[in-house]
Amino acid sequence: MLVIQQLVNGLMLGGVYVMVAVAFTLIIGMLNFLNFTIPALFMFAAVLMYATMTGTLPFGNDLILLIFGTDYRWIAGIIVALVTIALASLVIERFTYRYMKAKYGDATEHALPLVSSLGFLIIFEHFVVSTWGSDPLTATSPFGQGTYSIGTIIFSIPQIVSLTLSLIVVVLLSVMVKATKLGRALRAIAERPDTAILMGVDVGRIVPVVYVITGLLCAISGVLFTINYSTVDAYVGDTVATVAIAGMVLGGLGNVWGAIIGGLFIGMLEVMSIYIVGADFAKVPIWGLLLVILVFKPTGLFGHTLIGKGKF
Amino acid sequence: MSGYLESQLIILCLSIIYAYGIFLPAASGQLNLGAAGFITLGAYASAWFNASTGAELPIWLSVFLAMLFTGGIAFLISFPILRTRGVYMVLATFAFAEVVAGIVINVEELGAAAGMPVDGHLDVTVIVPVTIFVILFCFYFMSTRLGVALRSIHDDENVATLFGVNVRAAKVAAFTVGAMLMSLGGSLYGHHYNYIEAQTFNVLLSIYILLYVLMGGTQTAWGPLIGAVFFITVPEAIRGVAESAGIGWLAEGRFMLFGAFIVLLMVFRPEGVMTRTLQDRMSGAILRRKQTSIDDAAVRS
Amino acid sequence: MTKNVLEISGMHKSFGGLKVIDDVSFNVSHGSRTALIGPNGAGKTTVFNLLTGVYAIDSGVITVDGEDITHVLPKDRVTAGMSRSFQNIRLMPHLSTVENVILGQHARARKLSSLMFPLGLLPKNDWRLSAEEALDNAGIGTYPGEIVANLPYGVQKRIEVVRALVSQPKLLLLDEPAAGLNEVETNQLQELLEQVSDQGVTILVVEHDMQFVRNLCDHIVVLNFGRKIFEGTPETVHQDPAVLEAYLGTDDEVSEAPHAS
Repeated sequence: MLVIQQLVNGLMLGGVYVMVAVAFTLIIGMLNFLNFTIPALFMFAAVLMYATMTGTLPFGNDLILLIFGTDYRWIAGIIVALVTIALASLVIERFTYRYMKAKYGDATEHALPLVSSLGFLIIFEHFVVSTWGSDPLTATSPFGQGTYSIGTIIFSIPQIVSLTLSLIVVVLLSVMVKATKLGRALRAIAERPDTAILMGVDVGRIVPVVYVITGLLCAISGVLFTINYSTVDAYVGDTVATVAIAGMVLGGLGNVWGAIIGGLFIGMLEVMSIYIVGADFAKVPIWGLLLVILVFKPTGLFGHTLIGKGKF
Repeated sequence: MSGYLESQLIILCLSIIYAYGIFLPAASGQLNLGAAGFITLGAYASAWFNASTGAELPIWLSVFLAMLFTGGIAFLISFPILRTRGVYMVLATFAFAEVVAGIVINVEELGAAAGMPVDGHLDVTVIVPVTIFVILFCFYFMSTRLGVALRSIHDDENVATLFGVNVRAAKVAAFTVGAMLMSLGGSLYGHHYNYIEAQTFNVLLSIYILLYVLMGGTQTAWGPLIGAVFFITVPEAIRGVAESAGIGWLAEGRFMLFGAFIVLLMVFRPEGVMTRTLQDRMSGAILRRKQTSIDDAAVRS
Repeated sequence: MTKNVLEISGMHKSFGGLKVIDDVSFNVSHGSRTALIGPNGAGKTTVFNLLTGVYAIDSGVITVDGEDITHVLPKDRVTAGMSRSFQNIRLMPHLSTVENVILGQHARARKLSSLMFPLGLLPKNDWRLSAEEALDNAGIGTYPGEIVANLPYGVQKRIEVVRALVSQPKLLLLDEPAAGLNEVETNQLQELLEQVSDQGVTILVVEHDMQFVRNLCDHIVVLNFGRKIFEGTPETVHQDPAVLEAYLGTDDEVSEAPHAS
């Protein structure tokens, strides 16, 4: 039964990370690069949530206290996190993707957005460390630690809510991509960026939208993380990145449902590995699996085309 | 030399060696985000060779054997890894480094999570000359026909093949030699600080080294040197200046400037600081162009 | 030394369901200057790609100087004696002019000692000097150290030819070497190629510039829709009805058809 409990825990863990995996896969699928700012945005949202709830924002704490009162600061937290991340995403897009000058198309010039994203990762991480320090930050969850049991298996209610919310968001996103004009434009850009422009897709306006959508996915995920786990620090992005990237690779780069299933699976794999071989060794089965997939079946479980034709 | 300056110099030297290890494959278009893996292998292998012979083995021999060992592993995994391309290669090399870290941290004989003490001390009088040797070696390497071949592969792999370049062999060579350099750096680290633990060589290290190389520029052998020097010395300099001027926040936030600089560099100069054109301009090669001839005039007409 | 430096027999190639080369056979004799012409889309560049191994041939035999190279790897075809230039310039943009030419020498320099010689550090070495000399001979000696990306189109085109030449091929494949060149440049290119031909190199050139072809070449092969429709001399090509139909169609349009001057 303990194994099942661990599996359940893994599923719950995966649930929080699923949206980040989807964010990674959207950017890779549409814009052809690995966006390392994504885990930073996740972390930043989680920290902003903490800071709003504990009144430790750089400014505006009194105003928030005034409007929301101590008990409802978590609502303010959600607003602060989402709005900040959305704005940050727009700024980031302005400074990265716009400057992709594919002049010669050689092997490393397309590393540009990858490197820029690393630059932003460094900025965010150090901003958080210099503002809040590098120690763990704890905020009391507004929802307590309510649990629900089936037999001997314990489900944490906040985690179930997170998983459900994650799935709903991603399903809505999937529907949007399939059924709306915006979605069609996104798919056009993903498949043939050059022809997309010719077909009247305003790439210059759509790409910022992609950045904002993926940013919001990270933000929602970060907020849920703080609610669920109460303790955050400047480095939670790293743990998420592992599971999210791994989930994305497993599911197939560019494939949204693949990222969901992959993310959940990797969440379970991580928890099971920690349980069986200990936290430190857990890396080996996860990344070993990934290495094998990347070499022998890079399209993953559900992907069909290789991304970027070798570019970033 | 003061203790502080000396320790900074050591850090700089090691970073330069690591950077050249990533530079060689990067010059041919292979982005390796797994530096930490090879550095770890070098550090632990050298320590182990030394320890297993009861510290009887001369240090240079342990270091050399570690290079062979790491080179061997790099050679073996280069075949599957060089089958991947672009973002897949970045992820595959990253995965490799994680697997290495995960394995090492669980081997009791290597100290597991507690780390491992290393016998035999190497100080700055050894490390600096070795670093200089590595720099000279890489300049030599890139000036050879193999270097031209690597840079051709970076620009246009298919055409390079049509002129007889064995692309697979060249990439494997660059990857393996690069890994051996990183191993050297790792071994030097171990024998200098006389203590290693797997957590030291982490993802952030891999990321930073790749950043030094990409920002210094992958077109010439100056790139990794410039990248490492700039990004090790400037943050320290900022910290020194900020602390004495009392601007505490700047001292703390200097890495944010580093991040901002990365972003701006990619906006204005994505090929990195030192490009082939700039190198030529600086060495006056273009100034030494022969007199305009009738030929030129005809071309312009 | 056999009579023909190149023999193509029964060459077939399809991409998906589309047949792009259909039973093409022709020979190129030693020392000749042959032009491969045809309307756009006829398959001329595809033939070059099949000869150099960029594409794998579906069926047929390719022989270079008596040696069957049909299944030889692309990287080894240059040692068999074939070297080429490209329709769209494919120089290495981040390498200098002389470095691009040095790449052309690669096939002759595969020994480890040549491979690891520090060309860049000792500028007066034989390889580099011979590369610079080759550039000089082609009239572009003024730009040895300059990065090719910054050079004018006409110069880049000629560097491509020099790069192909320095591998000392038996057969030089040139894909539209005169495209985009002005009259002076075209004449210089012609002089260079005549010189090269006099030294015993066989030339197979794809071209649209019929004046250039007439001045330089002694033999013409015409392709249309992947099939060979004519093989003969420059004097007779414009009279052949199949050729006229290929270029002019059934209407009396003016096109780039080969015509008597």
